[in-house]
Amino acid sequence: MPELSKPLPAEDRMVLLPKNPGTCYVFWQFSSGRAEAFRAGAFAPEVELRLACVEDGSRSSVIKADWQAGRAYLPVPSQGRTYKAALCAQRGGAWEKILESNIKASPAAAGMAQERAYASLEFHKKVLS
Amino acid sequence: MSSRGSLMFLLHAHLPYVNHPQDSSFLEENWFFEAVVETYVPIISALERLAAEGIRPGVAISISPTLGAMLENEALEAKLQLYVESRLELLEKELERAQNEPTLLKTVSLYQKLYLEAAELLHKYSGDLITPLKALQHAGQIEIITTAATHAVLPLLARPEAVRAQLAVAAEDYADRFNCKASGFWLPECGYEPRLNSYLKLSGFNYTFTESHSVEFASTLAPNGVYSPYRTSNGVGLFARDAASSREVWSAQFGYPGDPAYREFYRDFGYDGNYDYIRPYLGTDGVRRPLGLKYYRITGSGADLSAKQYYDPDAAMARVEAHASDFLARRMKQTDDFYAARGTRPLIVSCYDAELFGHWWFEGPAFLETVIRKIRVERLPLQFVTPSEYLNSCQEPAELTPGISSWGENGYFDPWVNETNDFIYPAVYAATDKMIETANRFRNQDLSSLSARALNQAARETLLAQSSDWAFLLYIGSHSAYAKGRLEDHAANAVKLLGEVIEKRVDEQALAALEQKNSVFPRLDFRVFASVSKF
Repeated sequence: MPELSKPLPAEDRMVLLPKNPGTCYVFWQFSSGRAEAFRAGAFAPEVELRLACVEDGSRSSVIKADWQAGRAYLPVPSQGRTYKAALCAQRGGAWEKILESNIKASPAAAGMAQERAYASLEFHKKVLS
Repeated sequence: MSSRGSLMFLLHAHLPYVNHPQDSSFLEENWFFEAVVETYVPIISALERLAAEGIRPGVAISISPTLGAMLENEALEAKLQLYVESRLELLEKELERAQNEPTLLKTVSLYQKLYLEAAELLHKYSGDLITPLKALQHAGQIEIITTAATHAVLPLLARPEAVRAQLAVAAEDYADRFNCKASGFWLPECGYEPRLNSYLKLSGFNYTFTESHSVEFASTLAPNGVYSPYRTSNGVGLFARDAASSREVWSAQFGYPGDPAYREFYRDFGYDGNYDYIRPYLGTDGVRRPLGLKYYRITGSGADLSAKQYYDPDAAMARVEAHASDFLARRMKQTDDFYAARGTRPLIVSCYDAELFGHWWFEGPAFLETVIRKIRVERLPLQFVTPSEYLNSCQEPAELTPGISSWGENGYFDPWVNETNDFIYPAVYAATDKMIETANRFRNQDLSSLSARALNQAARETLLAQSSDWAFLLYIGSHSAYAKGRLEDHAANAVKLLGEVIEKRVDEQALAALEQKNSVFPRLDFRVFASVSKF
């Protein structure tokens, strides 16, 4: 899997982006202090990514990830609603919310028909196939 | 004959900003040279021919700010001239080589005509192709609109300041380039979400375009489907792309460009020709690369490249004629069916990447010209309209909030957010967040000239990092190393410059080099990234 080859400034950041009606993408970064706390074992290495519906506050999906993974795809159970993600970690057996994302609306309804597909992409696919 | 419906063509012309002034034969600069010769010059020539014949084309063209900057970049213009001269030199030799092969000779002659036309048009306008476009717009022949500053997929920019900067810079860039205010805004990749309405309005744009299913899945019922414009709650006009007319032209599989008589894109003389013979026309690295001379036709679906047959320009032009007739017959049936069902005249909105015409689909510019000419010559009951004309003459459009969508594969954001390219977003956001934070910090401060230059260049680098092209190239696996490098360089440049300003240690020599290389948006003011309460 490709990775960035240049270091990024160490900051706490969590961003939620739309991908399609059923999936959103989230990435996160930690400040050096927070990363050090994970490395020192103050937090358990496995974190939870929780997606919550902003309209009614309900928790929509939860997935577990390694704190260093930096990115994940979250299933979106109800299309066309607005969501917010949070990264939670365990300290001393209790869950703490460490990062919270921006609010993002999820697209509604199914994808468009295959024959409408982006033509330039079709040409590119041809050479790749 | 009175019109039974209206056609709107929107050609979206965009290339990522590629400028490597220190390199005489940079591979990716060929994207620009090829697009100029194969797409922009043939389209401009066709529009000028039609206008000279008294046939008003009435098409809309979106020129991305990055493409506009390249079309006005004198160093690129000089390289373009060398590129055209080099191809003409090779074509002289090719005419000799093809003397005993009549079919090949016809194609070589066609290419010679293409490159001569490019040389003449570039000479006529002193290398600046914005000039004829501006003249065509000024004469009312076409309408030119703009798109986001560096073609960012706007729904993927979570920070409001970043979206506002992409639109505000585009609006200013257009006014500088075309000496008037832009009416329309092409959403990069047709990527729409409702929060964009306010940014479009506040940046002064009157209308935009969305994908078909944005209307199908709108918050309220769209009374005329994609066949009429709508308006957002704050009065921005919306045109929805018609799927049928798009598919016929777009699709390599189902559409006209896949016809066996048409030119095969992927078999290029740069890979076929004798190495020593073509070596002077390759880059300084000597590696085989496309030369833009493609002598074969598609031949048959699935045919191996080695089994392709020679291209026959006359046979291809016969297919253009047939396809233009077919396209118009289908549009007339569409308008008749809609009129019979609803009693009103429909508007059919067809949006395409401009580079499809000529670069990918070699015969595309001829198709476009033939379609426009046929409506007049055959007195067909259709008329081409530009977006502003239509909005000025139609009834008040119904209010609508389209659904989140794009014209990308599967209709949403999969091509720009997937496991091949998702790693870029931390870098994009690191630069963007730092840019906003620093713009807020320095927005009201008296700055030295050097600090202001560094902040303005950081803003350019941030905008360039946000371009949709890097994610797309990574997705399709084409020029991936270049795309990754560009993204990383722009994000790192922005973060570095901002840090230097904060620490009062700007490296003037390095800054000057970046200003020369990434020289888009000369009037850019970093404060465009500052947070403002009205958004």
